[in-house]
Amino acid sequence: MIVEDEALLALELEEEVEAAGHSVIGQAMNRKKALAILEGQIPEFAFVDVHLTDGPTGLEVGRHLADRGIPYVFITGNLKRIPEDFVGAIGVIEKPYTMNGLKNALEYIARLLRGDIGLSVPPSIIVAPPAP
Amino acid sequence: MNDSISAKRGAQDAGDKLLAEHSSKDPFSAAFKATRMPMIITDPRQYDNPIIFSNKAFSDLTGYPADELVGRNCRFLQGPETDPAAVQKIREAIRDQRSIAIDIVNHRKDGSTFWNALFISPVFDDQGDPLYYFASQLDFTDDKTLEMQSASARRRAEAEVAARTAELTQALEAKTTLVHEVDHRVKNNLLTIASIVKLKARKTRDETVRHTLLSVLNRVEALSTVQRKLFMSNDVGRFDVADFARDHVVDLVGSLGRDDIRITMDLSPVLVPAAKASPLSLIVNELIGDAVRRGLSVGGGEIHLVVNRPNGHFIIEVRDTADPVDVDEEDNEFGRLMLETCCRQVEAEIEREVEGRRTTVRIILPLDS
Repeated sequence: MIVEDEALLALELEEEVEAAGHSVIGQAMNRKKALAILEGQIPEFAFVDVHLTDGPTGLEVGRHLADRGIPYVFITGNLKRIPEDFVGAIGVIEKPYTMNGLKNALEYIARLLRGDIGLSVPPSIIVAPPAP
Repeated sequence: MNDSISAKRGAQDAGDKLLAEHSSKDPFSAAFKATRMPMIITDPRQYDNPIIFSNKAFSDLTGYPADELVGRNCRFLQGPETDPAAVQKIREAIRDQRSIAIDIVNHRKDGSTFWNALFISPVFDDQGDPLYYFASQLDFTDDKTLEMQSASARRRAEAEVAARTAELTQALEAKTTLVHEVDHRVKNNLLTIASIVKLKARKTRDETVRHTLLSVLNRVEALSTVQRKLFMSNDVGRFDVADFARDHVVDLVGSLGRDDIRITMDLSPVLVPAAKASPLSLIVNELIGDAVRRGLSVGGGEIHLVVNRPNGHFIIEVRDTADPVDVDEEDNEFGRLMLETCCRQVEAEIEREVEGRRTTVRIILPLDS
């Protein structure tokens, strides 16, 4: 699932995700739409922009995903908006990301979810601090 | 009325008696009469401690002629403007038979006021009982007015400073908000530009067009990374070339998906002003891109990256060891043009050495860059 208020960025991210062999079950530009998608389906993974069309509600969407045990990353241009505990996110991909940076981050996430261990973290993703 | 007349007579008699003790040639008596310092003497042994003697300066100050003063207690100098707390202090000092110096507002005969630096001191007899009270006055209204004006000026200045501080704080907040907003927009726009180029590259059926678009995308992304790192750092105005170079080489090599490329680095932080961040990041981008194009992306190999500042110079060096492959001449020329132009921008020199499979490109900048 992709939660992003810039349609062009969402489209390009979807293309990139699909090129890596995944499929996107839904796109949302605000909190309401994101929660509506989650009513019907459970994605394996989500990308969540912090600032959506209805404000900085990405954090709320993130909290909802964390509560339901759905892994996700934040995508944002403002790291300061992210609380210290990352609201349960795996990490943050900082905007503006590069094509290579995104590719490496996707590869890392895919392997992490597959259960690979000893992965080196690419520079394009900032991983959450370990839970206390 | 009779009481008041007899009291006045008593006070007058006491004053006369005092004068009789001092001949007109007594220098102390003469000084008392002639001094410009307003002075009075009161007699505590008479009822209500009346004035028994006053000098001309006192009459000049208060507007009362001498004959209106004798026989009266000094409290007639007090009025609506007088601070009751000050009056209380004088009363206590007289009761305790001790001296007092106090600033008090007094009223003249015509009702006008003056600030009086009052000094009252008892004169004791041989038995230690108060014989007289001696009081001197000093009109310091002018000083007091100045003091109050300066206090009021100070309060005004303080209020002004507070108002200005509030304005500046507000302006700073507005500026911070604006910087964040502009930063957000620049980042989003750069990413949107990149996304448009990427989308077109993805959709095109022409391999040359795709290749060209990705070549443009590569440079746009170098600039957008500068924007990301520039604002991420605590020191917004500075950019660490070494940090950029490390992330860039790791990202680029990582995206090739080859495990036969070995990266080694010799990096130390080199902070440059924001204005030089873009040309320097494009230089790093060209050096690494060139090394990858010439062989690493095809047959693997080694890439060594140096960013440091040994003895008075700032060095960016990329050394690759790989089997050379044919490179698209147009790519090569364009890459070289980018590199040379960006080096001219920051007044850097380019050194290139080729030894067999190994190519070293070194960029040397003057330190103040």
